[in-house]
Formats: sequence, C-alpha cells, structure tokens
Amino acid sequence: MASLTFNHLNKQFGSVKAVDNLNFEVKNGEFICLLGPSGCGKSTALRMIAGFEEPSSGDILMDGKSIIALPPNKRPTAMVFQKYTLWPHMTVYKNIAFGLQLRGLEKKVVEDKVHSALDLVGLKGYEKRLPAQLSGGQQQRVAIARALVLEPQILLLDEPFSSLDAHLRVRLREELKSIQRSLGITTIFVTHDQEEALSLADRIAVMSSGQVEQYDSPDIIYAKPSSLFVAGFIGSMTLLEAENKGSELKLGNYTLPSSEIVKGKDVKVALRPEDILLADANGWAAKVSQVMNLGPFYSLVLAIEGLGSVKALFPKTSLLKEHDQINVLPNRYLIYHEDGVEEITL
Amino acid sequence: MEASQLQRPKAKLSKQAWVAYALIAAPFLLMVLLIVYPASLSIVRTLRPEVEGVRRFGLENYQAFFSDHTSVTNLIFTLWSTGAIIGLLFAICLPIALYLRFTDSWIAHWVQGLALFPLFVPGIILAYALIRFIGPNGLLETFIEVTTGWQGYRTPYLKPAGSIIGLVWEGIPITVLILTAGLAQVPDNLIEAARDVGAGRLQIFFRIILPLIGRSLLIAFALNFLGVIGAFTLPYLLGPAAPQMMGPFMQRTFYNVLNPDAAETQAVITFLLSSIVGFLYVRSAVRQQKEET
Repeated sequence: MASLTFNHLNKQFGSVKAVDNLNFEVKNGEFICLLGPSGCGKSTALRMIAGFEEPSSGDILMDGKSIIALPPNKRPTAMVFQKYTLWPHMTVYKNIAFGLQLRGLEKKVVEDKVHSALDLVGLKGYEKRLPAQLSGGQQQRVAIARALVLEPQILLLDEPFSSLDAHLRVRLREELKSIQRSLGITTIFVTHDQEEALSLADRIAVMSSGQVEQYDSPDIIYAKPSSLFVAGFIGSMTLLEAENKGSELKLGNYTLPSSEIVKGKDVKVALRPEDILLADANGWAAKVSQVMNLGPFYSLVLAIEGLGSVKALFPKTSLLKEHDQINVLPNRYLIYHEDGVEEITL
Repeated sequence: MEASQLQRPKAKLSKQAWVAYALIAAPFLLMVLLIVYPASLSIVRTLRPEVEGVRRFGLENYQAFFSDHTSVTNLIFTLWSTGAIIGLLFAICLPIALYLRFTDSWIAHWVQGLALFPLFVPGIILAYALIRFIGPNGLLETFIEVTTGWQGYRTPYLKPAGSIIGLVWEGIPITVLILTAGLAQVPDNLIEAARDVGAGRLQIFFRIILPLIGRSLLIAFALNFLGVIGAFTLPYLLGPAAPQMMGPFMQRTFYNVLNPDAAETQAVITFLLSSIVGFLYVRSAVRQQKEET
C-alpha cells in the first residue's frame, strides 16, 4: 500500500497533449477512478504510473519517491488490462505463478500464493484450464488474481470490465470493491462508465482533454459538478439557459431564486431529474412527452413551454403516463456562472 | 415450420457445395495428373527393381542407396546443410523480425526493404552475383587485399559454405515475412502484461514471444526445409562437387551416370524426408483453421 502523487505530469504525442499538467494525490489505501470520455488521457495517465509510457515532463511520486526512472518490471505496481491479456499458452496456474517465479520464490510458496489468489477471486479448481476455456468474466478474474498475487503497492485497472456484459460487470465490480476493501490496497481504476466510477471510488478524477476537471468524492461530484463538462458527463442533467436578474433568474416565462454570488447576465441552470418535484398550479406547466420504465421509477421527459425538454424521475406510484398535463418545480438546482457554480436549495 | 421450409437450406447448401467442387476441380485434376500420378509411378518403380532383366517387387534400390557410401554421404551432407541453413536463417531473421515488430522508424522500413529484396532476385542471377562477389579474384577478395594487404582469403565458392551462403540469402525474405507476420499476431498487451509482472527482455522472449509464435516458427522451418532439401540451382552453381546436395546429386545420377532408377530412388528418399516436415506443416495449418472456425 502506498500513496501516489502526480506532480505537474504531462504527456505529449506529437502535437497532441494527451495528459496536461496532472496534479493530484492518491492517499494510501484509497480507491480512485479516473473517469472521462475516450481520448481524455485517463489510460495514458495510468500507463505512465505502470511505466508503459514515459512522461514528457513532471513527476510521479510513490510515498514521496519518484518512480519515473524505473522500468515497468521494477515498479511496485500491477496492472489489469482491458481484455485478452492472459497468456494464451499458459494455464490459469502458470499465468498467476509467472510473476512469482520471476521473483525466484520457492515452488511451495508459489503454489500457496496462487491457490489463495484463485480462492480470493472465486476460481479455485480452475488451475489447469487454459484462458480459451474460460468465460470473459473468469478471464478478468484470473487477470485480477495475477495482479494481486504479486502484492503490489498500487493496483492499476484499465477499464477491466468494459468488454463484459452488464450483469457480469456489476457482479465483478462488487467483488473487486470487496477485495480492495479487505486488502486495503491503493487502487486506481480507469473507466468511461460514470455508474462504475460512482459505485466504486472513494474519489473520482473526472478528466477532459488531458486535464482533471474535478477531483472529489462521488457524492460531491454528483451533487455539485464543478463545471458544465462534469455536469454533463456525470449522471443525467438538464441544462437550461437563464438570465440573471440579481435576486432571481429568468427562464422563459418562469423565474427561480438566484444568489448575489452569481455573476454575469447569461447563466446556465442545471437540474437533476430527481430534483424535479410535482407542484401546485404555481409550478411550471409541463406535458409528459415520454415515459421510460426504470423498474421502481419512471424516467420522464417533460415538455415545458418556453424552456424545452426537462428530464424528471418520479416513483411509479405517481402513475404518470404520456400526454399528462402536470405542474413541476425544482427543489434544488445549480447555477453555472462566470465565477463558478452556485447551488440553490429551495 | 413446414417440411418444405425445413428442406430449403439443405438444397442451397448442396448447390453451394457443387459450385465449390467445380471451382477446385481444375487445380485438383492438374495436381493429380502432373504430381500425384507421376510421383506414385516413381515410387512404385523404385519398389520394382530390375533384377536379371525382370522387374519384381523388392527393396534392392533402397538397399543399393543405403549401402553406397557416396549416396549416404550426400544424404547426410544435405541434411547437415539444411540444418545449418535453417539455423542460420532463424539466427539472422528472428532478430530482424523482432526489430521490425517493435520498432517504427524509417530505419525499420529500410531494413524491411533490404530483407525482402532477395525475393525479387532470381536464383540464377543471385548465384552468378555471389560467384563474382565471394569467388576467387572476386570483389570481396580484391577488397580485402587492397584494403589490408592480406592474401589469405579462401573462397567459399564450390565449398559447402558456398551453397549455404546462397540458400541463406535466398531464404531470408520468406523467413522474415513469416516471422514478422507471426510476431504481428502477438498483441502488445501480452508483452506489457509480462513486463508488468516483472519479466525482462529475455524472459519475455523465451516465455511469451517464442511460444506464441511457435506456429510461425514451424511454418518457416517447414517451408525452408522443403525449399532447401530439394534445392538445385544454388547448390549446383555454388556448392562442392563432392559431397553434393540431393538436388545436384539426382541430376548427376540421371544425366551423367545414366541411372534413372537410382535417381528416382534418391528422389523418393528426399520426398519421404520432405513429407515428414510437410505433414507437420499441414497438421499445423489444419489445427489453425480448426481453432479459427
């Protein structure tokens, strides 16, 4: 277990800045997710920690010591790759034992460690199978066991579940979190799946164009995204144009309370679907234009005159259906203005 | 579902099968007429030697081959040369293929071009070029004498090394192509995963890369073995008069010694040796096809 610090880390491929001045710290035993769309630099950052990419400038410190001069095979990290990284000519046992054998451990010690690693990922009895004889989920479990058996100080995972089906992804996610908690290993997990990041991480670094847009706990990132990019990337959000008139905001034919802190005339109001509530006749008049069944909830698209489409989430007990006329109001919203973001709760 | 609906796919498949048979009929017939039939006749003829003017089944031709010192020496020399050539080809081509696989620079493109260049040079031209280069009073000898004053150069021309140099040169392009194709199938992820668990360059090469390109190695071995064991032009023009490789030996037995039965026996023995390697190659190809489907 170790702490990790990105110190003004940059990586440039030709004229493209893949990672741009990365500056943040991962605490000992923390589970961090690097979250962002494809090409945002999250995998490059992870590969720099593992040693597969050399930083153009900056430093990576592990427990305060620079590791960038170390080749991958000398770094106290272990990586789980996206897919197909089990050596196909080796059995499950040999795949896991390979790293231990390279360290010159005794045969008995290797055997014990491999068996307990397989036990940890629930694959006891699969020692003699070849990777081709395993399902995708089992292969990724072996890859996790192969990484954990080396007892790395930092575990790195590069979208390890992205090629698996949704059900299996959720199951493996739960298993990984439980393993990480029991071992207390510092973990950095790269994903483009916000749900995965929100459910796994102690803290999430949301990345865009090589930079970290926000580095916070999942709760804060969800409740108060620091930028429009994060707001649009995390969860579902409706963004509405508004005019700041000092103490209130004008949205089409309606108004909402504002704050003195809000700067500038043109601002954006961000609404989470769950913050839209049914209201009396003073609320916004809305027509239910679409209903999607999400199990215990209805996800609705409301057409509000002068505002456009607004997403809302109501319990099934609301019994709403398409073309219903209702009144709604937000009980909480964010205002993105010149100087940042302001949260208003009614 | 009705019975007529059930039968439709079967009829379609059968039509497709007939089209497939029609397409392969011409090359298949050519192979039977020009290769399988004459080869079978030759094999049968070697097993029906003429003893006291009468042909009957027996192993006399083979007994004669294996009891003849020159024939056995030539066979051993051919196998030895083949082994040496294949060994040298792997020693030369594997580093080139590894370099090409893991390097992306203008030098790599030049190296690839140079490695593939012999593919476009006919064997006979290559043979005469090599004679002028490594032969007595050739460019190499002259260069050494002029630059160092040393006069001890001993030409490999008309010596075992002569045909080995020629056949190695000739075999480089196909070997590089096969090994490069094999290495291209090794994903970067697998190598990175090995580096990640602590493997160094040699461990990655021996424990990961070599097993993963095993099939390519077998194909390169098989194709070179088949090409070298039956080679004629280069061993004939660059190699020694004795011992000889099987190609020139068969030619001499047939045209100079005027003993077609013995030449045919030599050919069958060479063919049997080739067919062992050919079998391994075909088995590997079929396995690959099975795995892919």
